[in-house]
Amino acid sequence: MSPRQSRTLTRWTFSALALVCAAAWAFPVYWMVSSSLMSNARLRSATPSFWPVNPTLSNYAAVVEGSSFTSALRMSLLVTGVTVVAVIAFAFLAALAVSRFRFRGRTSFVLTILLVQMLPAEGLFIAQYKMLSGAQLLNSVLGISVLYTAAIVPFTIWMLRGFVAGVPIELEEAAMVDGLSRVQAFLRITFPLLAPGLVASGVYAFLQAWNEFTIALVALPAESAKTLPLWLRSFLSASANRGVDWGEVMAASALIAVPVIVFFLFVQGRMTSGLVSGAVKG
Amino acid sequence: MTATLARATAPPTAPRRRRRPTRRQGVAYLLLAPAVAVLAIGLGYPVWWQVTSSFKEFGLAQQFGQPAPWVGLDNYVRIFTSDALWAVVLRSIAFCLFNAFVTVAIGVGLALLMRAAGRWARLALQVAMLLAWAMPMVAAVTVFKWLFDWRTGVVNWLFVRAGVVEMHEHHWLASPLSFFLVASLVIIWMSVPFVALSVYAGLMQVPEEVREAARIDGASATQQFWHVTVPMIRPVLAIVLLLQIIWDLRVFGQIRLLQDGGAPVGDTNLLGNFIFELGIGRQDFAGAAAVSIFVLALTALVSWPYVRALIKELDR
Amino acid sequence: MKILRFAAVGVAATLALAACSSSPSTPEPSGTDAASPTQSETEAPAPEGAEITLWLAGGDTPDELREYLKTTFAEQNPGSTLVIEQQEWGDLVTALTTALPDAANTPDVVEIGNTQSPTFTTVGAFRDLSPLYDELGGDKLLQSFVEVGTVDGKKYALPYYFGSRYMFYRPDIWSAAGVEVPGTLGEFTEAVAKLRTNDMSGFAMGGQDWRNGISWVFAHGGELATAEGTTWTSTLSDPKTIAGLEAWQEVYQKASNLPATDRDVAYWEFLNDGTDGAAPPAATIMAPGWARWSIGDLTTNDAGDEVRDGMADESKFDIFALPGVDGGIAPVFAGGSNIAISAQSQNPELAENLLRIIFSEEYQTLLGQNGLGPAHSDYVSALGDDKFARTMIDTAAGSKLTPAAPGWAAIEGALVYEDLFQKIAEGGDVTALAAEYDAILTPMLNGQTS
Repeated sequence: MSPRQSRTLTRWTFSALALVCAAAWAFPVYWMVSSSLMSNARLRSATPSFWPVNPTLSNYAAVVEGSSFTSALRMSLLVTGVTVVAVIAFAFLAALAVSRFRFRGRTSFVLTILLVQMLPAEGLFIAQYKMLSGAQLLNSVLGISVLYTAAIVPFTIWMLRGFVAGVPIELEEAAMVDGLSRVQAFLRITFPLLAPGLVASGVYAFLQAWNEFTIALVALPAESAKTLPLWLRSFLSASANRGVDWGEVMAASALIAVPVIVFFLFVQGRMTSGLVSGAVKG
Repeated sequence: MTATLARATAPPTAPRRRRRPTRRQGVAYLLLAPAVAVLAIGLGYPVWWQVTSSFKEFGLAQQFGQPAPWVGLDNYVRIFTSDALWAVVLRSIAFCLFNAFVTVAIGVGLALLMRAAGRWARLALQVAMLLAWAMPMVAAVTVFKWLFDWRTGVVNWLFVRAGVVEMHEHHWLASPLSFFLVASLVIIWMSVPFVALSVYAGLMQVPEEVREAARIDGASATQQFWHVTVPMIRPVLAIVLLLQIIWDLRVFGQIRLLQDGGAPVGDTNLLGNFIFELGIGRQDFAGAAAVSIFVLALTALVSWPYVRALIKELDR
Repeated sequence: MKILRFAAVGVAATLALAACSSSPSTPEPSGTDAASPTQSETEAPAPEGAEITLWLAGGDTPDELREYLKTTFAEQNPGSTLVIEQQEWGDLVTALTTALPDAANTPDVVEIGNTQSPTFTTVGAFRDLSPLYDELGGDKLLQSFVEVGTVDGKKYALPYYFGSRYMFYRPDIWSAAGVEVPGTLGEFTEAVAKLRTNDMSGFAMGGQDWRNGISWVFAHGGELATAEGTTWTSTLSDPKTIAGLEAWQEVYQKASNLPATDRDVAYWEFLNDGTDGAAPPAATIMAPGWARWSIGDLTTNDAGDEVRDGMADESKFDIFALPGVDGGIAPVFAGGSNIAISAQSQNPELAENLLRIIFSEEYQTLLGQNGLGPAHSDYVSALGDDKFARTMIDTAAGSKLTPAAPGWAAIEGALVYEDLFQKIAEGGDVTALAAEYDAILTPMLNGQTS
């Protein structure tokens, strides 16, 4: 066998292995979707079926109908949207400061944002409630967005710091020699190179804000202000009370996951390429 | 508040370097302002409350308006002298290190596989990673509970099908060890994609020529990996490992949701759950605050080598 | 019953319209058939009108009753509205802990688990209802529930509804195995032990399910804790309590296939036939009365959904009360809720008006018709007099509550009894465990942090 042939052979082996891993990793997601399309009676059967038998959308109808799903979806979109925009903007500016400027307190700042990530959130709820209540921001998009932004911004600063450091300052300086102002040089040269990093931090912020439920439990006590994870939780406990209807529970889970997956596939190209090339430069 | 904390944690010997013009410093502070402001608003008061409460008597009566007297270190003494805390600490550290290292190992393996596989296989693996990564935590835990359900779960069914009849109606969540096995599976399943995609991005930056040269010098695949690849992706490995350690030490929701179905709660609590149980379960808010501060110190300690390297790098 | 439901839907629909049109931000005229109070409301909003909030726990109060409360409250308090918010049981204590002390956001009236009441009454979270007590029913209110809401003779929380637990079983399986409905607790254990097979629990009970399990303690004359003055002592090591715990250990180990870590799960689905007519996973369960509606053969309701027929076939599904040690009826754990007004409520008069509606004959009757035990003894007959209602009333009469100790909610929150019962279920030595947990529980009962 020539070395070339043997290399093609190994490539085939690796590809096959990669497909097996892909299948294993996607299986829980597949199982969720497939179960959500089957009737509860079918799911209770002693022999599981690996593809949807007599697929039906009735689980989805049952979940959406008569529940506060749409209001929770609206609330989740609002909170996540505000948080993502604020996080990206604030983290980007701070990352610029940290990686492009030397100033007194820089090390302390970086250490602080590292440390605040290590603080357990489970003990903070009384103080968070008092603060929001005092500012009349309970049940409001603004109130919870501030808490989320504060919780997410440290990591994103850190992530973006690597991206900004990865763009050589010489590029900008060269552009300035060509007659552009510093701001112009930054906007035309550096900013486009940072796009993957901004997308990656946006995705991170999106996931965090979309999935969070401990802070939401405290900050959004009113039924009308519930976000999707809270909605899923009350759906789960109601369902557990009646005897778990796995079909409906899987449909509810899928409904929460779908917007995220759509968003991911949408930004996928940019993200995988540049994902943590920021982190690579540490 | 954040500023105070920052000053308090600053290294004793501040770097003395050539001074830049103050105007540039001003711009830097201006750029930092929004992030610092949101941190001060969003975390300042809660952290201050946490720190002060840990030195007070603060229970449900205080929450309803009774005076909260200062008690010095009483809460810390009480916490540190209880056996319960140390059992939870050891369990959490073991759980955290196990999951962090396994996650990184699998992540690196899958990243190497992505590099080695053909185009379509790689894309399939990447999409699978994205699917798992995008899955909200509550949904992911729910799906795993269903997979491992003792009566109708598919895992037991597969075991029985494969001839392991004892697994019929096996209770996965009933004993601490298999409970943590399921919890680890969920956590690893959810965190591997981040590691794999990050490391893959890192691998893409290792120039092909370097590996080629090593191959010509007669290095085996293993040698190439340890002596060429690993040193080149070291920074990304260090970061993802640190992040996994920080995150896995803070695991809370996954355990809580798995316990909801009935589990040996006392033997499966991790630090986050312990704090939650103290504060929300027992209304011992001061004790919960003291444990939180302790966990912060513990995490800082565990990640100290990396933090030191970071300070050095910043001062360079 | 069906007619009543139908009428309620009509009321609900009208109310929904009313709710829309009374909101000041929707100026467009409501439908021509909208109820008249609506129009007077939009035309001349009463200046003293206010909005009060009622927190209900879980989904136990049916929609029909919620609508009744809202409509009636709006009628009797022109210009004011009642908002009902549902809190999940699992998050209720957290939500109450943060919101009750907060004058700006406190709910005005809250439902709270009967056993959780002492925790909040002892820290002054609720308004003193003593002046209202006689008007709302006085001594006719369920006294054991009144007592858990009383501190130093002042009444802070009153009973909302009670539930009870009894046994649901499969007569077809019992008679096929040649066992009969037991007359004593010992016979019960024998019967369900005999019924148990590898695939079917004779009696399905999770090992952590202390809420059902303490019936065995009560049946043997045991107590979980006793109070001397204001000092509580855990009494697990009392010989009677130990006898009860050992009897429970025996029945769990001999008759149940459920994991020792299962809690109060949805047992009722265990009693139904499996898919394709397979045998059910349990021959007997213990559950609250409303479990009935999740048990039975599959049938199709008017909306075309598959539902259980509510145990229509008596030869397959039936009930009995858990028998006592020497016959009669064993005291079971009395489920149910209390209701209270927040001490910080900004509209205490309106909140008291809402309590007047809740304790009115109409609402108490509605509770009974929906299978929730009315707090006022005059209206208990509203539960009906079929076997379900009779068994519920009989078992409730002898039922007992958990200790009204200040630290009780903390004990529930820390899942201490879950741990204890799990260890007993796993075959632990009851005497040793009782001593170990007495030491843990006594300080917690008195609200001391350990």
